[in-house]
Amino acid sequence: MSIEIRKLSHIYNEGTTFASVALDAIDLTIQEYCMTAIIGETGSGKSTLVQHLNALLLPSKGEIQINDRIIKADEKPKQLKALRKKVGLVFQFPEYQLFEETILKDVSFGPKNFGAGEEEAEQRAKEVLKVVGLDESYYEKSPFECSGGEKRRVAIAGILAMDPEILVLDEPTAGLDPKGARDMMQLFVDIQKNYHKTILLVTHDMEHVLSYCQHVVVLSHGKIKRDCDVKTFFSNVDDLKEMKINPPAVIRLREALLAKGFKLDPSLLDMEELAKQVAKEVKR
Amino acid sequence: MNKITVRDCTFSYDKEHNAIDGISFDIEAGSYTTIIGHNGSGKSTIAKLLIDLLVKDSGSIQVDGLELNDENVYAIRSKIGIVFQNPDNQFIGATVADDIAFGLENHCVESAKMQGIIENFAAKVNMLDYLNSEPTRLSGGQKQRVAIAGVLVMNPEIIIFDEATSMLDPQGKAEINALIHEIHEQNHLTVLSITHDIEEVAGSDHVLVFDQGHKIMDGKPADILKRKQELIDLKLDIPYALKFVHALQDEGVNIDEVITMERLVDELCQLKSAS
Repeated sequence: MSIEIRKLSHIYNEGTTFASVALDAIDLTIQEYCMTAIIGETGSGKSTLVQHLNALLLPSKGEIQINDRIIKADEKPKQLKALRKKVGLVFQFPEYQLFEETILKDVSFGPKNFGAGEEEAEQRAKEVLKVVGLDESYYEKSPFECSGGEKRRVAIAGILAMDPEILVLDEPTAGLDPKGARDMMQLFVDIQKNYHKTILLVTHDMEHVLSYCQHVVVLSHGKIKRDCDVKTFFSNVDDLKEMKINPPAVIRLREALLAKGFKLDPSLLDMEELAKQVAKEVKR
Repeated sequence: MNKITVRDCTFSYDKEHNAIDGISFDIEAGSYTTIIGHNGSGKSTIAKLLIDLLVKDSGSIQVDGLELNDENVYAIRSKIGIVFQNPDNQFIGATVADDIAFGLENHCVESAKMQGIIENFAAKVNMLDYLNSEPTRLSGGQKQRVAIAGVLVMNPEIIIFDEATSMLDPQGKAEINALIHEIHEQNHLTVLSITHDIEEVAGSDHVLVFDQGHKIMDGKPADILKRKQELIDLKLDIPYALKFVHALQDEGVNIDEVITMERLVDELCQLKSAS
């Protein structure tokens, strides 16, 4: 499932005095079957970009190609249902969108909406609830009785139930406790690997980018500022500083020790490796 | 001296199980205290009990020596300010100036005096240039600054931050954390911060750990954060500096357990010059 974005611009309130350019002639290819982080300050265009991927927003200029489907500016797209089934969007705080009286019904809603029969939808719901780690004791519970982390799992199951090929996650761990956040990220890694999905992760958390993603796209003022693999992205500390990105703890520690005259490999990104090299320096 | 004293406090939302189950703790005047615990542990509930937004079922809460009851509730509320998690849910005014003025109006401050006060507090949170801005024009971090100004203007003795930075981007988070530390030091305030940020805990004076409505740990961060396995079992994190110390110990390095990055770098420099 490939995504090609060509000269994509999005202008809010175009033609009025309130017009503002949210995306400015972006060219971008999203790598298939890996996890790509989309980062950037508040207002950089991240949310605008991801909402184009299932045509919730349409281009002001340029085009997006998802497999053989092309969405162009000035062309009223028809039959978006197929596209929306392929690209699952999980918004921030998705638990606010839960509405059914039982978890099973809530998760079945999506497949039913896309034409699955009652039984098929329920079967599908049961499968994906298992994927997100909720067993059958949850089926008949009200989604509103659950904890924050469980609610979010239900909401994500609701998207997975539609079997999207591309999963777009907008800050999926915001507001979760540390264990909840780790488990959630591990869930996405498993989904990506076991079911061969392409995952786009909108995040502010550089520890997550380092630990879970393979590719990074940085947006700034509606333009692409970086588009590279994770290792390259974190290799230039001055570059990170210039983009006002606070690097992960392992890099902060490595840099602090290098500044104090420790002899270390300046490209280290792994805590155990860093500990090994530091141990050599401090042991008698 | 204790600023807040809580004894055997109990509260239930559904009258079936207790969200707060017999909790007692003391918070010293002028301290920076953090409360940690997983989602649903009762952290936010205790904050609401302290300002009587929720009414405890039993037990006692004292603020500045005053017992929290019907008679004292307004006196106590005037001592405590609270900043909540979601920047969009606590903006009341149509502009930044209006929002900061809201509390003053409630306290019948003369309007002639108000402008000067508003400007003073907007300057404190570095929002003086935005006095006439509407909330939709502000970032999350800027909205939280305004919320903090709106609380500071009431001249509280205690400020509670209920995950006040958890919805902000890293820059907003760093700005608000720096601002909290600054107002804590400058105004001799007692700060109570409910947080998931283990690095913030490492930099605080005192930490309370909540689990399922109980307080299960209470002490100095340097002591509490070393209880690695217990914290992990509680779905919590330990600071990166401590994780690194453990990795070094696995490599056979003899090093003390430290919880902040600054201390870790210092310790390592000492070890290096001794080796």
